[in-house]
Amino acid sequence: MLKVPEHQVAGHIARDGKLGPLVDDEGRFYKPLQGDARGENEAKFYESFSLNKEVPDHIHRYFPVYHGTQLVEASNGSGKLPHMVLEDVVSGYLNPSVMDVKIGSRTWYPDVSEVYFKKCIKKDRETTTVSLGFRVSGFKIFDHQESSFWRPDKRVVLGYKVDGARLALRKFVSSNSLADSNSIPNCAFASEVYGGSNGILAQLLELKAWFETQTIFHFNSCSILMVYENDSFLMKGGATEQAPRAQVKLVDFAHVLDGNGVIDHNFLGGLCSFIKFVKDILQIVEERDDIDTSRLENGH
Amino acid sequence: MHLKAPEHQVAGHIAKDGKPGPLVDDKGRFFKPLQGDSRGEIEVMFYESFSSNTQVPDNIRRYFPEYHGTQAVDGSDGAAMIVLENLLSKYSKPSVMDVKMGSRTWYPEASEEYIQKCLRKDKGTTTVSSGFRISGFEVYDHKELSFWKPNRKLLNGIKVDGVRLALRKFVSSNTLSNTSSKPDSAFVSSVYGGSKGILTQLLELKTWFENQTFYHFNSCSILMVYENDSILKGDVDDVQAQVKLVDFAHVHDGNGVIDHNFLGGLCSLINFIRDIVQNPDESSAEN
Repeated sequence: MLKVPEHQVAGHIARDGKLGPLVDDEGRFYKPLQGDARGENEAKFYESFSLNKEVPDHIHRYFPVYHGTQLVEASNGSGKLPHMVLEDVVSGYLNPSVMDVKIGSRTWYPDVSEVYFKKCIKKDRETTTVSLGFRVSGFKIFDHQESSFWRPDKRVVLGYKVDGARLALRKFVSSNSLADSNSIPNCAFASEVYGGSNGILAQLLELKAWFETQTIFHFNSCSILMVYENDSFLMKGGATEQAPRAQVKLVDFAHVLDGNGVIDHNFLGGLCSFIKFVKDILQIVEERDDIDTSRLENGH
Repeated sequence: MHLKAPEHQVAGHIAKDGKPGPLVDDKGRFFKPLQGDSRGEIEVMFYESFSSNTQVPDNIRRYFPEYHGTQAVDGSDGAAMIVLENLLSKYSKPSVMDVKMGSRTWYPEASEEYIQKCLRKDKGTTTVSSGFRISGFEVYDHKELSFWKPNRKLLNGIKVDGVRLALRKFVSSNTLSNTSSKPDSAFVSSVYGGSKGILTQLLELKTWFENQTFYHFNSCSILMVYENDSILKGDVDDVQAQVKLVDFAHVHDGNGVIDHNFLGGLCSLINFIRDIVQNPDESSAEN
């Protein structure tokens, strides 16, 4: 039985009779093949990627597993349509916080139509894409004080400037009232989610090393999805704390092109900028924790 | 003070038709006329800020020309000039290449007209596709015993393969003006490679760019230089390969964000050069 995914934060949503992706209860994500060659392009990418022997094993984990295409009853009632069958990257999580970040200082690329180019560059300039090399596309966070999920309005997210993006990345790892725009995010989970040997920063750095030399693909308009488990932070009456299993995944490959011997400098520049933002948050938290520790030690 | 036009300038404005161009003296100084419409001002502001910025590590300072303030100079209508280190003064026969960095040369603070002009040029060159473009270069031909520089119009039209070829020609000794002969990449290991070579220097710059948020180096160039005289005298290793950043007329504050535009282009240039170092005969991409 297929249903609308609970935790989708960006892209087309299969709601109110619209065409969008669906999930089953076996950890699979069904993405309808989009019209005008994009769907075909994405399927071609997945096929090429899964067969490509030049992609190192440790990089495969950053991409959803591909299970081919299948005819599936579409969410908008238009009958059976071809869908890509992918790994549902949030299926192993009970209460995941999720954020979609579109990477690159431009979402257009050489040889696109003038219309598409104009549409992309307008959006790139209006958002943080040009200024930061990435933009937050959407997110939902579990508010530990309200015990519910919170997601900001899409228009608000698209209107973020540099400070808004920074704030969103802090909220993403905070436990205090997120809906309240006046409260300062406490970044309570920054070290466990962003930091550590298995945290998001470590994974981003691994991806960065690959992007510095891979010339196989140009990931135009791709997103990085960040996920982590909130249940690990909820006190469960003496139960041992589990790791938040923070995970980075690359998603949305409708505009991927051949690298043709050139690195994906557009994605890489944006990735490095994103890494710096995450590092800065970790550093502030570390410094704050150091001050707190020394206060404790000095009897404050 | 005896001033004259620099010999080996490969890109940028030159002194022509009564318009001021840069000048050099015999004491190792380079005099750059202050460009109009605030660009000259911005460049001076950058040099002033950079020279007093204590957070720039010493090993990074070497990649920037030394700044000696501004001065009014005779023969240029008393117009102010920026006084810089002449990067080529210690070279007797330098091969020089100017590479404009970044996948875009425009930036948010620029005027709409300027942005459109830059976009057109970026799309028509390797700026968009490769993250940098070759603005100009001059190479010493060891067979002809003279300098050669490609036609500027031709250079503007080159694509990715042309960039690869130019980067190889830059470190070759064979007849460069003959476009059908393959460049021999004779000086790859001493100019690009080694612990003092260009690749090592670019990697050092890359580390700084991954963290520095002081400046956004819009439209800046990387200048690559090396000495041919020592090669002619039989010492292939003593080439004094040097990387310098130049042209700061469009530098803006980083405002807490890294210069991801420059960094992406720098990583791309590093990859092109590394490919040549690892495949001195021909890279896999050129097959």
